[in-house]
Amino acid sequence: MSVGNAMRRLVPPGSLVLFLLFLTGIWLAISPFAMTTQPSGQPWIASTINTVALGGVLMIVSLLGIVGYMALGLRDLPREAQARQEADQETTSS
Amino acid sequence: MPTTQPTLGKYLIGMAVSLLIFLAGGWLILAPFALSYQPYGADWVSQTTNNLATGIPVAVVALVAFGFFFAALLGALRAAGVLAVRKRPEAQGQAAFQPATGLALVPAPAQSDLDRTLSTLAAALAADLSARRQGGNAQVSDQSIEQVATRREA
Repeated sequence: MSVGNAMRRLVPPGSLVLFLLFLTGIWLAISPFAMTTQPSGQPWIASTINTVALGGVLMIVSLLGIVGYMALGLRDLPREAQARQEADQETTSS
Repeated sequence: MPTTQPTLGKYLIGMAVSLLIFLAGGWLILAPFALSYQPYGADWVSQTTNNLATGIPVAVVALVAFGFFFAALLGALRAAGVLAVRKRPEAQGQAAFQPATGLALVPAPAQSDLDRTLSTLAAALAADLSARRQGGNAQVSDQSIEQVATRREA
């Protein structure tokens, strides 16, 4: 299996979309300050708390999804390579 | 024939994460009204605009991610032989003339010795039929049947 093929299996289109959502989480977390809807030096207002919390959740959950998929995919790669080798050996022996 | 054990954990993780993010997007859309920082009947404040402009794409993109992971899950199940392989109409037409491809379409876990024997026999008969159609002589097909029978006996 080539490196490109392995990378494609570890980072599927779904993970790329999750990365997009991770970037969205970053924007959500900084948007109250970037858009100055949060008054400087004041306690956080409700919308700031909500938006920052959701941004954090989005970042963490999407990262978990990307890393979890990659970790389980890495665990599967040797197993599949071994199964393929056994299949080749059976083909050559028969 | 070796079978590949499908490991579904990674797909399920992706689908669960996508669903969770979809719910987060839904909450982003509702939050200005639920937390009442959007005054009733007034023009939308900038927090509301930002939350809606972010929440709707987040929900849509999360659904797209869910679709990607679900498609990957179906592909893995098909590769493992758990789900039937989708046949194209052209492939079905070719299957009548190329019996060897028919063997690959049989789900791997369902293949017992009896199945394999029957598949081999069917492939030999189909090879005989296609050889006759293509104008080949009968000796070639007899030889192929004998070869298959000898292989099965061995």
